[in-house]
Amino acid sequence: MRPGSQAFDDEIRGHMALVVKERVERGEDPETARLAALREFGNVLLTHESMQAVWCPRWLEMAEVLWQDLRVALRSLRHAKGLAVTVAAMLALGIGANAAVFSVVRQVLFLPLVNRDADRLIYIRQSAPGIGASNITFSVPEIGDFRSRSTTVSAFGDFSTIDFPLVGFGEPRVVQAGVVSGSYFEVMGLRPVLGRLLDARDDGPDAAGALVLTHRFWSASLDRDPTVIGKTVRLGARDVTVIGVLEPSLPYPADTEIIANVVTSPHHLGATMVTERTHRMTELFGRMAPGATLEDVRGELGALHAALAREHPAAYSPGAQFQLSVTPLRDQITAPARPVLLLLLAAAAVVFAIACSNVANLILARSVRREQELVVRAALGAGRGALRRTLLAESLVLCGAGALLGVLLARPLVSVVGRFAARFSVRALDVTVDPSLLWVGAFLAMAAAVVLAYVPRLPLPHAPTRSGSASGGLRITPGTGGRLRVFAVTQVALSFVLLVGAGVLLSALVALQTTNTGYNLRQVLALDVPLPMEASGPKAADFYQEAMRRIETLPGVERVAVGNFVPWRDAFGLLRGTTRFAVEGYTPAAGEEDPRARLRIVTPGFFAALGVPLTAGRDFTDDDRPGSDLVVIVSQSVAQRLFPNGDALGRHMWWTDPYFGEPRPRRIVGVATDVDDANVVPGPSLTVYHPLRQMPYGGRLFVHTSGDPYALVQPVTRIIRSISADQPVERAATLADVRAQVLAPERLNAFVLSAFAGVALLIAVVGVAGVLAFSVSARTREFGVRLACGSTPRQLLTHVLGEGALIAAIGIVAGAAGGYALGRVAASSVESLRLPGVWPVLGAAAVLMSAAALASLWPAARAARVDVVQALRSE
Amino acid sequence: MAKTPDPSRLELLQGTLDMLILRTLQWGPRHGHGIGQAIRAQSDDLLRVETGSLYPALHRLEKRGWLKAEWGVSEANQRAKYYRLTAAGKAQLAREQDRWSLLVDAIGRVMNPAPAGKE
Repeated sequence: MRPGSQAFDDEIRGHMALVVKERVERGEDPETARLAALREFGNVLLTHESMQAVWCPRWLEMAEVLWQDLRVALRSLRHAKGLAVTVAAMLALGIGANAAVFSVVRQVLFLPLVNRDADRLIYIRQSAPGIGASNITFSVPEIGDFRSRSTTVSAFGDFSTIDFPLVGFGEPRVVQAGVVSGSYFEVMGLRPVLGRLLDARDDGPDAAGALVLTHRFWSASLDRDPTVIGKTVRLGARDVTVIGVLEPSLPYPADTEIIANVVTSPHHLGATMVTERTHRMTELFGRMAPGATLEDVRGELGALHAALAREHPAAYSPGAQFQLSVTPLRDQITAPARPVLLLLLAAAAVVFAIACSNVANLILARSVRREQELVVRAALGAGRGALRRTLLAESLVLCGAGALLGVLLARPLVSVVGRFAARFSVRALDVTVDPSLLWVGAFLAMAAAVVLAYVPRLPLPHAPTRSGSASGGLRITPGTGGRLRVFAVTQVALSFVLLVGAGVLLSALVALQTTNTGYNLRQVLALDVPLPMEASGPKAADFYQEAMRRIETLPGVERVAVGNFVPWRDAFGLLRGTTRFAVEGYTPAAGEEDPRARLRIVTPGFFAALGVPLTAGRDFTDDDRPGSDLVVIVSQSVAQRLFPNGDALGRHMWWTDPYFGEPRPRRIVGVATDVDDANVVPGPSLTVYHPLRQMPYGGRLFVHTSGDPYALVQPVTRIIRSISADQPVERAATLADVRAQVLAPERLNAFVLSAFAGVALLIAVVGVAGVLAFSVSARTREFGVRLACGSTPRQLLTHVLGEGALIAAIGIVAGAAGGYALGRVAASSVESLRLPGVWPVLGAAAVLMSAAALASLWPAARAARVDVVQALRSE
Repeated sequence: MAKTPDPSRLELLQGTLDMLILRTLQWGPRHGHGIGQAIRAQSDDLLRVETGSLYPALHRLEKRGWLKAEWGVSEANQRAKYYRLTAAGKAQLAREQDRWSLLVDAIGRVMNPAPAGKE
């Protein structure tokens, strides 16, 4: 159907022959006739092409045109390798960062959970803001009441965490275990990948001990061993059978390695746990009944909770302001990561904007240099559309390359960002590289390409080319210089915003890291040496005393102590809370809660080993034992707040929490300096220390050494194992490293934002330098004239430097204004957002100004070196 | 590529070329040059069709099935493509002719309104 190319030629040739014949017949000589025919015909090639075009399907035609444009673009970019590489690299940075962050954001915030009907799944939390408890959890009697009275929640699942020594999987070690009743997995809507999950059969005190492995533990520690089902391991004091492996799912509220039934935990079977309404340690989940809405559930459970508080006034003191909140599980899990991820997304978007604006600068400068070429093309009949298309093709090639590099870059970035986000939401643990990377990258590249193609102005259609290419000078389409400056200012402004953000985080981090904690951080090694609950008692105290005695003989060891709490690290465990107590001579006002303090257990020498001075009284001694006088040491805050007359020593205190049974007064024998072992930002801390012999729960060993603390890990472990072969010895770290690890999210935050800001700064510097260099080279003649009129090179240098400083200054002001406006808008939706202090703002401005000065040095030097004669001759 | 228009010639109205070609072929097959010459002769040299428009138009009509092309030998003893009107082409010509007379009539009324009389 479609004629071949030869046919078109034949047809045209036939036409020519006819015209020539006619002319010859009229008497012209053949050569003249041939030329006349050719002239008359016009553009043979064009006609040929339009004939051919008739037969082309429209898309093929467009594809052909595009292909041709792309080929031309590639060819012309080959002559501008430096530019092409810079542009592609910059776009790659912008696209890569965005694709990676977006991919993580999508998976963390927007993808559904694996749990069956996850949108019916709710998380219920009890809090008591009156006593500073944001999550006070639930007691077994409370859960029982909810179970029996609620109609809008069809089933409740309960989950508590407890540490168990586990023997049977490799080295003996302590694992954090979830303890759940049989309804838990049914409520959560989770399935096993192997064996079965815990169900109603595993409830009750007579059931056999059973445990389910999390997928993570099964893959990481057991190498996905399928024969593990049916295996018996020792969990604490009990033999427990592995009955199944859980599918990969979000560990919430705690990232436990195993999940066991209630019977495995003696504590859960105890009377305190089962009957004491204020013994709260269980997290609560629920599945909404069919037809019930979230509002229904909130209303009903809220009313139920209020009723409980009326029925049991002793368990819900008004001062504590008990509250109940109900959130969809998914929101609960992702909420902490939301602000961080959105911040990251914004930072990535800003970097992309800066990269684009810088690329636009480069392209604009290039388009000025090739104005001549565009003018020639226009003269040869290329329409404005065709010119745009050429430019579009070029930017497509550049952006395509940028996108490709960007996606390659994004692949490793995803796991980095994922690990970062995982500190805020467990969801990010499972982030993988997914196809969303590709389409985000492609979309951004397309957007950039279209924008870039419209950046350069086309030569005006009827403006004749005044100067031939012979002049060699640059003609600038009006407004180009101005546009370049606008882009440079934009870059400076955006980098300023990012720099201020990074500055805020950095200054907060520096403040945290230089805070005086009151501990000797570097010389103290902390190790977990936990004993099972059953092994507590005098035997435990003897065990620790023997271990301490032997460790003290190691070379380099100065002091050894045992406690029950590693500062900061244990702040998320069972002892995170505070306990009610009373002191002799202090009566709380009516409706006011008892004071609450942290309960810590230490051996004699603990304060000296950790570098915490006693301000009054004495340290514990080996004579503070079960039979003798019950004694405690209190922190300075306790002494000052409850004994304003400074007479704390010799007075008595006692715990009032029912968990301790009958109150037993304990005499205060010492006062220790305040140390806040729960918060990285130290605050006043009410702490009461007990001697280990009188409250024999230890588990944490502290070794003060004059040498390298980590060199002691091996010998200390050997000594402990020689006393008890199955004894776990874990998590050896200096207090400095413990604190660093707790500060890791802050450090990571600051690091990530600083990285973004650094990239932005670099791009902005290149941008400013580029604009000035361009402006200098375009004004060579002007500089020549100035020199000829008596300006000194020094003045020119200052002039260009001043220009750079002006761009930076305008950028900073614009950035400050824009950032302030943005901050105000964002502050209305993000509560925790505060406007930065003066120092980060001034710091960012100083950094930018000096960077701009550096960036303008090189073009300024070039301006100062302009050769008068050559400059004047150049036109 | 603006050219100064030759006052002695008329620019073809947009969309009329196809109709002229179909009309020219009513009297039998012709090659491209012949069609151009015929239009010129019929219009007393007022209409000259640019080859750059003529040939693509011929191919367009052929693609739509209104013309059929055959290779033959021309007066100049050269291979030449002869175009012939198909049945569909004839129908199309009729349609375009109707539309054209209507258009001419309508434009005529606008340009030379009948004196406002009471009918």
